[in-house]
Amino acid sequence: MTPLLEFAQTSFSYEDRVVLRKINATISDGECIALLGPNGVGKTTLLRLAAGTLSPQAGEVRLQGQPLRRLKHGTIARSVALVPQDVDVPFAFTVEQFVEQGRTPYLRMFGGLQAADCTAIEDALDLTDTRSLRGRVFNQLSGGERQRVKIALGLAQQPELLLLDEPTQHQDIGRQFEMVDLIRSLKRKGIAILASMHDLTLIEGTFSSVWLLSPEEAMRKGTPEEILQPELLERAFNCPPRCRSALEDQLRGRRELVL
Amino acid sequence: MARAITPVDVTIASDMERRRPSRYRIFVGILIVALVVAIAVSLGVGAVGVPARKLALTLLGRDSLSADQRIICISIRLPRILAAALVGSALSVSGLLFQGLFRNPLADPYVIGSSGGAVLGASVGVFLLPSVTISGFGATALLAFAGAVCSIMLVYALAHVNGRTPVVALLLAGFVVSTMLSYSSYFLEALDHDFGIGLRVLASWLHGTISQPTWGQLAIVSAMLVFGLAGSVPLARRLNTLSLGEEYATHLGINVQQTRVALIVIGSLLTAAAVALGGLISFVGLVVPHTMRMVLGPDHVRLLPVTALAGAVFLLLADTVARTIIAPAELSVGVLTAFIGGPFFLYLLRKTKRELLL
Repeated sequence: MTPLLEFAQTSFSYEDRVVLRKINATISDGECIALLGPNGVGKTTLLRLAAGTLSPQAGEVRLQGQPLRRLKHGTIARSVALVPQDVDVPFAFTVEQFVEQGRTPYLRMFGGLQAADCTAIEDALDLTDTRSLRGRVFNQLSGGERQRVKIALGLAQQPELLLLDEPTQHQDIGRQFEMVDLIRSLKRKGIAILASMHDLTLIEGTFSSVWLLSPEEAMRKGTPEEILQPELLERAFNCPPRCRSALEDQLRGRRELVL
Repeated sequence: MARAITPVDVTIASDMERRRPSRYRIFVGILIVALVVAIAVSLGVGAVGVPARKLALTLLGRDSLSADQRIICISIRLPRILAAALVGSALSVSGLLFQGLFRNPLADPYVIGSSGGAVLGASVGVFLLPSVTISGFGATALLAFAGAVCSIMLVYALAHVNGRTPVVALLLAGFVVSTMLSYSSYFLEALDHDFGIGLRVLASWLHGTISQPTWGQLAIVSAMLVFGLAGSVPLARRLNTLSLGEEYATHLGINVQQTRVALIVIGSLLTAAAVALGGLISFVGLVVPHTMRMVLGPDHVRLLPVTALAGAVFLLLADTVARTIIAPAELSVGVLTAFIGGPFFLYLLRKTKRELLL
């Protein structure tokens, strides 16, 4: 069966700095993957490659067997939605107007929103529990609300694959759990998810696989149990040896959280 | 993720469709009525007053004006009124487009130097190529357009950093470019040895005076405005998406580069249309879209027609005041818009400080 998305020997570099080297990986329908790795290792770059907003210098990224570079952005955006880390909106758009933008790939040049578009927007607001925010100004939302509204925009694209860039970053612990719950409910809807994560405690029980990017080695893929090992993480994140016990504590913490 | 459409969804969708445009339509209706009233009032007032009753009867087909009054209203005031409405509309819409392009509510054809570029282009036409004319402008309108395109590309290149246009960079680049361009026009003036018509034309351009246009000139500018408005319609929705930033818009299927070029071309066309009749009129392209945005929110699809109408009403009223307030002498409307627009803009700047600090 053709995977939903496939990285085939994908390499990417910014000018002379190589970021990703010969990545091989696939995402199947409905799979829920956490992307781990130290700062600057190329997690956001990998997500951009998956969304087609960056093109690899070597190798390919394929969406249902077709190379992304041969597809139009609008076509890709109907299957893959990228939810970026930061959005900076210069005008006072309401949440509803913001989420409406997710229908852009479906609109004709002169046409307005159709009934199907409105349904998709309502569904997206429902799934992310942001219906009550629809009249609020996006720029005046709290961090947690903003994050959910950005995901609502992605869901309005009706994607098969949702790419989340640090969805729990700068969130308090309550909002982090809310985000994890949201990711689980999207998973139940059958949407595949690739999310870059920093918090190790939030991975097990939510994500079915983990991709670990490290600066020196090839990307590791496995189940959370296989990847969330102190030795592997210590090496990938280049932790000083004295932090070993803190790392183990964090990993133990996530087990207690799951149980 | 397809889901069966439930009756609830349908109700919500149709409810949204029903509820949303109605208040908006009333607002558009009010603006259309305001434009008609403003034209009627403006026809009646001036150095020679024409009673409203007579005007109304004439409009209803029962001509009761004296020969003098008819000449004043139809041959002198009407072209000027139409010119003011066209200029106001063109400036406001180009302001709206530039604000979307720069993702910055402070952009305006005057502030960012596009008007200055148009004046310089038009001056080249008047001083260096005076013989090439069609209906009174010809080369001038074309060169004004070229000047506007060049200056905005220069300001854009200077002020656009990492996908953003910081307020400070935009204002500085716009200030420098527009000052350079205005003084280049003075330089051309100094080269002109026969002190002919060009001097007067340039002086009125730099003050922002709505000239007494010929019907041919009005026809050309109307055509530019209609073309510019038609071209803005498919751009309005893309401007909403472009507000999310370059990368996001690209991801959602917008061809950012192509959209920017289209915005520059159409915004400059509208600026050139305005400059050809009114010269450097400040703040209209800034105050009108901004006020409309405060009333209706930032959706460019809804803002476009409303901005075009409100701009026409605003400048028409301003020009009427400008030509009557010290009658029989006349004030340049640019002086008046600077007086109204400047303080109003400062007030907005204070009130929406958070929104403007990018």
